[in-house]
Amino acid sequence: MQELAKIYGETLLLDKKFSYCPGCGHGIVTRLVAEAIEALGIRKRTISVVGIGCGGFSHHYMEIDAIEAMHGRAPAVAVGYKVAKPENIVYTYQGDGDCSAIGLAELLHTANRGMPVTCFMINNNLFGMTGGQMSPSTLEGQITSTTPNGRDVHQHGYPLRVPEMMADMHGAKYVARESVCDAKSIRKAASSVRKALDCQMKGLGFSFVEFIVPCPTGLKLSVPDSYKWNKEKMVEYFKPQIFKNEMEQNDEN
Amino acid sequence: MKSEPLFLKNAQTFAEAMVRCGVRYHFAYPITPATEVMKHTAVILPQYGGRMVQMESELAVSNALAGCACTGKLGATSTSGPGMSLMQETMSYMAGGELPCIMLDAMRVGPGDGDIVGAQSNYFQATRGGGHGDYRVIVLAPASGQEIVDIMPDAVKLAYTYRTPVLFVIDGVTCTMTESALFPEAHDYASEFDTSSWAFTGTGDHPKRYLLTGSYTHSQGEELNEKLLAKYELIKEKEQLWEEIEVEDADVVLVAFGIHGRMGQDLVANMRAEGKKVGLIRPISLWPFPDKAFEGLSDSVKSMLVVEMNHGQMVDDVRLAVNGRIPVHFLGKTGGDMPLCTLAEMTAKINTLL
Ligand code: SF4
Repeated sequence: MQELAKIYGETLLLDKKFSYCPGCGHGIVTRLVAEAIEALGIRKRTISVVGIGCGGFSHHYMEIDAIEAMHGRAPAVAVGYKVAKPENIVYTYQGDGDCSAIGLAELLHTANRGMPVTCFMINNNLFGMTGGQMSPSTLEGQITSTTPNGRDVHQHGYPLRVPEMMADMHGAKYVARESVCDAKSIRKAASSVRKALDCQMKGLGFSFVEFIVPCPTGLKLSVPDSYKWNKEKMVEYFKPQIFKNEMEQNDEN
Repeated sequence: MKSEPLFLKNAQTFAEAMVRCGVRYHFAYPITPATEVMKHTAVILPQYGGRMVQMESELAVSNALAGCACTGKLGATSTSGPGMSLMQETMSYMAGGELPCIMLDAMRVGPGDGDIVGAQSNYFQATRGGGHGDYRVIVLAPASGQEIVDIMPDAVKLAYTYRTPVLFVIDGVTCTMTESALFPEAHDYASEFDTSSWAFTGTGDHPKRYLLTGSYTHSQGEELNEKLLAKYELIKEKEQLWEEIEVEDADVVLVAFGIHGRMGQDLVANMRAEGKKVGLIRPISLWPFPDKAFEGLSDSVKSMLVVEMNHGQMVDDVRLAVNGRIPVHFLGKTGGDMPLCTLAEMTAKINTLL
């Protein structure tokens, strides 16, 4: 392990066994976040505030301090933390249920507040940990354990696009949606993670990245099929894009 | 800040007292009658290098408070009835996570949205906890502006010593009353506590630390609960607070907290002047409940009267404390324009028991 730490740095705990299911998109995003922390040299002053769900385990694979928040409340915890200790880097790591169902109010108000904290929303379009129930981002017609006949938008509403809601908020300085469904997308996602944390380091304002990831277990698909499904179905509705990047603009000022 | 007398609304006194004792971060959401506290801290905290942060809901308030506590610094919040209900999940979380903070419930009439007039209807919620799990928080009930000032240093010490939320419950009548209080010289008690062994300040200071909300393994859940239980037993043993007046030879002992406890001081003086043997026990810590005040009661006590601004909540604890040895009676009301029992009503009731 000594050798691996030399290559990959101290943030990612390579000797820890993942609790994620094989092929889970969380594995990729967790690694990207760890690599960005390592590259930016902020490990010793970074705090992860994790939500409830499979992503709540993400901090176990990193040598950083962490706070497990109550379901949906991670952004509020991050705000309180940042108020008291602004020199530290605080990010939340939450699923789509945590972020956009139970915690939407906290997330949007944190975005609008513009305090330099970062929120990562890992969108696998269902509740993974509890066994694949509909989440706000479940697609129309998609079968889950609570939508046995497919999501009926007249009953359950439409799949919720979260970063679109932040695009008009002055406090949000970096807002992006990325996907991890192929190598090219992962490279873009890695860049967004780094920019989001950099935005906070520069004290510019709120930063947010949504990641479209597969949950093979919840989707009841093989790993390759779940990535294919994501690439074909999810990113069609949840289009990866940079909604806002006011970092350079601020740099000039 | 020098020692000085100030003539303030008691909600403002609460704000002044906590800031002068070291609270630097106050998270709040407007709600009557607690709003006076945040209006005041919004003005004074910047002078101390702190901030009042108005959040979008009491859910956000209590969780921001938890985030602040994770840094080891002292934060506070103030709210009333419905806001307190929204904070219950976080109370359980902070108790389980052993996070120190100061909280105020400026109690008003419930249930539901209730009414903005003062009450003591949240005794159950405060002392039993509306949150989930086997947890306790320290609950203090000062009865005047001066007592708020006097007890605040202890509240800060309790919060850090036991790493627990300390909840003030002050009836809305006392909170909205304007009176003078003598403030000692400001002293930042909070920063005197070393939090380096537990605060989540980044791995620059220590090996990885994390705050668990749940148990990773079943045995971890058991360990946490046993650790908390041992702490609660210690608090029960060491931190009971109460005032007692002339109970040694009393025929009837009045038991009341907050505004009714304060009225009880006059009541005892008046009835003693008439030669009637009446005493008072005024609980100041509601949890731990001052059982010890009841243990030593003499055989002369024929009955006890509990008076509350509710329909009978603390009376349960009094009955548990006397454990059937002495008959316990109750007088209380809630709602209406002024949900107080008058001195005359209290006196009349005691006369029927003498
Ligand atoms: S249930 Fe889904 S989200 Fe959770 S670890 Fe398994 S694959 Fe990942």
